[in-house]
Amino acid sequence: MLVLSRKIGEVITIGNSIQITVLSYDRGVVRLGIEAPKTVPVHRKEIYEKIIQINRQAAKTHLMALKDAIANSSIKFSHLIDEDISGIAIKKLNNKE
Amino acid sequence: MAKKRVIKTNYFGELEIDDEYIFKFKDGMLGFEDLHDYVLISEESTAPFKWLISVDEPEIGFPLLSPWHIDVYYDPGIKYDLEKQVLFVVITLEDENGEMSANMKAPVIFNIEEQTGKQIILPSDKYSTNYVIAKKQQTIKE
Repeated sequence: MLVLSRKIGEVITIGNSIQITVLSYDRGVVRLGIEAPKTVPVHRKEIYEKIIQINRQAAKTHLMALKDAIANSSIKFSHLIDEDISGIAIKKLNNKE
Repeated sequence: MAKKRVIKTNYFGELEIDDEYIFKFKDGMLGFEDLHDYVLISEESTAPFKWLISVDEPEIGFPLLSPWHIDVYYDPGIKYDLEKQVLFVVITLEDENGEMSANMKAPVIFNIEEQTGKQIILPSDKYSTNYVIAKKQQTIKE
């Protein structure tokens, strides 16, 4: 890891298009100003980690569990939402009931 | 002639997928960066939810729902083209209590012209990664 010391107001550049400015330091909290092109996503790392964790949980969802959750919920689905997207439609599965 | 791939899914049996139905996720889903090809499946008993199934690892399937079912005022705050893009959020169920939540902070955007998709993280802090949309109804314990 490259370690650089910077004072308040000083800048670090990454490549040609990213600049990070140290704005302030107060009681253990550093505030940074980040300038980057729109195509470069900038986020707090915890957000990334949280989303990865949520995706892992979502990816193993059981169909019957979702069906139960829908049945047990009081969600009202709108019929006005346009979801015109090419997918594969499957008729009701023949569940062993 | 369109190529076909046969995938064996957990819940939908064996499916024959025409290449034209495959959505390419260049960057994968977050945490699944190696899986690039997905199909979107609607199944009646879980409508209007959809399933984003990995073609390469069909046991991986994300339940998706239009965020506007959850919040009619949902505003991702990003530029997007209603004509050619469709947006969904990822739904999770808690193992213990069946509580359902939606990741409103990281929607999945499909481009239906290019048959591509990507999961993005919204810049705004307005939306939660696990917005509870349904709690399991309490069962009365005797």
